[in-house]
Amino acid sequence: MKECKKLVSLVKRNTKCYFKDKVMFFMSLITPLILLVLFVTFLKNIYTGSFTQIATEFGVAIEPRVLEGITGAWLMSSILSVSSVTVAFCSNVIMVEDKMNANINDFSVSPIKNTTLSVSYFISNFFVTFIVIMCVMLIGHIYIAAVGWYLSVGDVFLIIVDCVCGILFGTLLAGIIESFIKTQGGISAVSTLVSSMYGFICGAYMPLSQFSEGLRNVLGFLPGTYGVGIMRNHYMNAYVDEIIKTVDPSKADAMAKAIKDGFDANLYFCGNQVSLGAMYGILLGACAVLFAVYVLLVFLKDKKILAIKSKKC
Amino acid sequence: MIIDIENLEKSFKEVKAVDNISFKVKEGELFSFLGVNGAGKSTTINIISGILNKDNGKISVCGYDTDSHIHKIKRNIGIVFQNSVLDKKLTVLDNLKYRAALYGITGSAFKSALDETVEMFDLKEILKRPLHKLSGGQKRRIDIARALIHKPRLLILDEPTTGLDPKTRINMWNIVEKLRKENGLTVFLTTHYMEEASESDYVVIIDSGKIVAEGSPHNLKNKFASDFIKFYNHREAAQKYFSTQGYRFKNERDFTEIELSGTEEVSKFFKEKPELFDDFEVLKGNMDNVFLKVTGKDLHGG
Ligand SMILES: Nc1ncnc2c1ncn2[C@@H]1O[C@H](COP(=O)(O)OP(=O)(O)OP(=O)(O)O)[C@@H](O)[C@H]1O
Ligand SMILES: [Mg+2]
Repeated sequence: MKECKKLVSLVKRNTKCYFKDKVMFFMSLITPLILLVLFVTFLKNIYTGSFTQIATEFGVAIEPRVLEGITGAWLMSSILSVSSVTVAFCSNVIMVEDKMNANINDFSVSPIKNTTLSVSYFISNFFVTFIVIMCVMLIGHIYIAAVGWYLSVGDVFLIIVDCVCGILFGTLLAGIIESFIKTQGGISAVSTLVSSMYGFICGAYMPLSQFSEGLRNVLGFLPGTYGVGIMRNHYMNAYVDEIIKTVDPSKADAMAKAIKDGFDANLYFCGNQVSLGAMYGILLGACAVLFAVYVLLVFLKDKKILAIKSKKC
Repeated sequence: MIIDIENLEKSFKEVKAVDNISFKVKEGELFSFLGVNGAGKSTTINIISGILNKDNGKISVCGYDTDSHIHKIKRNIGIVFQNSVLDKKLTVLDNLKYRAALYGITGSAFKSALDETVEMFDLKEILKRPLHKLSGGQKRRIDIARALIHKPRLLILDEPTTGLDPKTRINMWNIVEKLRKENGLTVFLTTHYMEEASESDYVVIIDSGKIVAEGSPHNLKNKFASDFIKFYNHREAAQKYFSTQGYRFKNERDFTEIELSGTEEVSKFFKEKPELFDDFEVLKGNMDNVFLKVTGKDLHGG
C-alpha cells in the first residue's frame, strides 16, 4: 500500500517533469501532425483514386464528401496507429534523462523498490503518450469533420480504445528497448529509427494489399500490423456502410469486401482472414508478452546486483 | 558504530578506485573523508549508499549489513551528492514533495516537515521557483534540505560547500552543527576545504584508493604537520644557516620560509641564533599542511 503511494507520487513527478518542458511536448505532437499534413498534401489523391477505382468496378460513384471522408479516416487510422508507438518512443525521455544526469541515483538511495521506479516510468509514459495521441486525434477529427464526417460516437469510442491498446503496446516496447539507453543521442537515434521504419513495417503508409504475398506473410507475424488493422475497421466501417448503400444490394457484400481488402481493414494471414477479435487477441497477447519481458528485465537488474554482491560472501 | 567498513575494494576495469580500506565512524561524529581528485571518495560513498556494488569487503551502516538490509539503511541516511540530482525543471516545493513521498512522508506529515525545512533553510522566497532559476548556492541549500527531509541518522555530504560563498558556507555549517547537537546527527563529509576538516572529530585521508593517514585533526597535525618560520629580515643569513643544517626553505617576495619539524625546534633555534629573529613570524602546521604531506603533494620543495 505504501509502495503504491510512492508509485503514484513518482508518476506525478515524471509527468510533471515531462510537461514542464514545452519543447518536448511540442516535438512529440508535431511529428504526427507533420505526417498528417504530408499525407493530405501528397498522398491523398492516390487513395481517393483507389477508392474511386473500386467503386467504378461496381458501377457506382462515391459521393465526394464520403470519398474525402473515408480517405481522411483511412489516413487518420494510419497516423494514430503509427504514432501510438512512435510517440511512446520519443516521450520516454524522463527515464533516459534520469540516467543521464544521475538523478536516478537519488532514487537508488531512497527506500523504494526498483520495480516501483520502472513501473512509474511506464505509467507516466503511457499517460503522456495518451494525451499527445488524443491531441492528434482531435486535430485529425477536425479535419475529417471539415471534409466529411460519418463516424458515430460509438466509432470514436472504439477508436479511443484502439489507441489505448496501441499505446500500451508502444509504451511497453519503448520501455524495454530504451531501458538499455543511457544518452540523449541514443534516445534520438532509436526514436528516429522507429519513426521512420515502423509505419512501413506495419503497413500504415502503404496498404499491405499492395505488398507481395511473401512480405505480407512476414509482416503478419508482427503484432503492430493488427493494431493498424483494428483501427482501420473502426475508422472505415461507417463510410463503407454509406458507400454500399448506393450499390445493388446483391453486390453490397462483395463491394464492402473489396474496399476492406484493398485498404487493410481485412487482414489475411497465410490466406486466412483474421477476425477482429483475433486482431485484438494478438495485440493484447503481444502486450502481455512485452509486459512479462519488462518485468523480467527489472527482475534481472535486481538479480545482477545480488549476483555481484553474493560473490564475496 | 554507525559505519563500519572492512577491507572494502572496488575496481573499474583497470582503475582500482578503492583499494582495501577499513575504517569506522562513531555515532554523532563529524567524520571527514579527504583525498585529492580521483582518490576514491565518491566511489566509497556510492558503495555505502547502495548505488554501486563493491567487489570485496564488508560494510555495515546503522547496524545493518549493506548486502542484506540495504532497504533499512536507506531510510536512515541522507546524501548530498557531489553533483545535484534534483529535478531542475520542477519547483523547490515539488522537488521536496516528491522526494519526501519516497520515504512515505505525505499529507500533514509532509506539511510539518516542510515548514521545519523552510524555516531551517530560509526557503520561503524560493519555494515556488524552479530549480534551474536558482543560484548555485541556493540550489545547494535545496540539495541539503532534500537530504534532511526524512530526518536521517547519518548525513553524507560529498563536497557540499564547493562553489559556495563564505556566508552560505557558514550558514550551512551552522545548520549541520545544530542538527548534530540537537538530534545527534552523524555527518560523513568529503571536502577540499581543510578548515572544514579541521573542525571534525576524526579524519581519514585516502590517496589512490588507499588510506594514507587517519586520526583526530590534533593527532594528525602533531604527527605530520611542520611548523614554519617566516623571516622578513636577515633573509639570506637565515637561508644560509638553515640550509647548511639540511632544512628546506622557500623564497617568496617578502620573506624566506623555513620548514621545521615542530615547535621545540623553533624555540631551540630562537635560543641558538637570536640575531636572526628580529622580524619574523611562526606558523603552526594546519590540516592543509597535513594533507599535502601525507598525499605526497608537498608544495614546500626547496
Ligand atoms: N563509473 C566509473 N567508471 C569508471 N571509472 C570510474 C567511475 N567512477 C569513478 N571512476 C574512477 O575511480 C577513481 C575514483 O573516483 P571518485 O569519483 O571516487 O574520486 P573522488 O575522490 O570522489 O574525486 P573528486 O574529488 O574529484 O570528486 C577515479 O580514478 C575515477 O576515474
Ligand atoms: Mg567525488
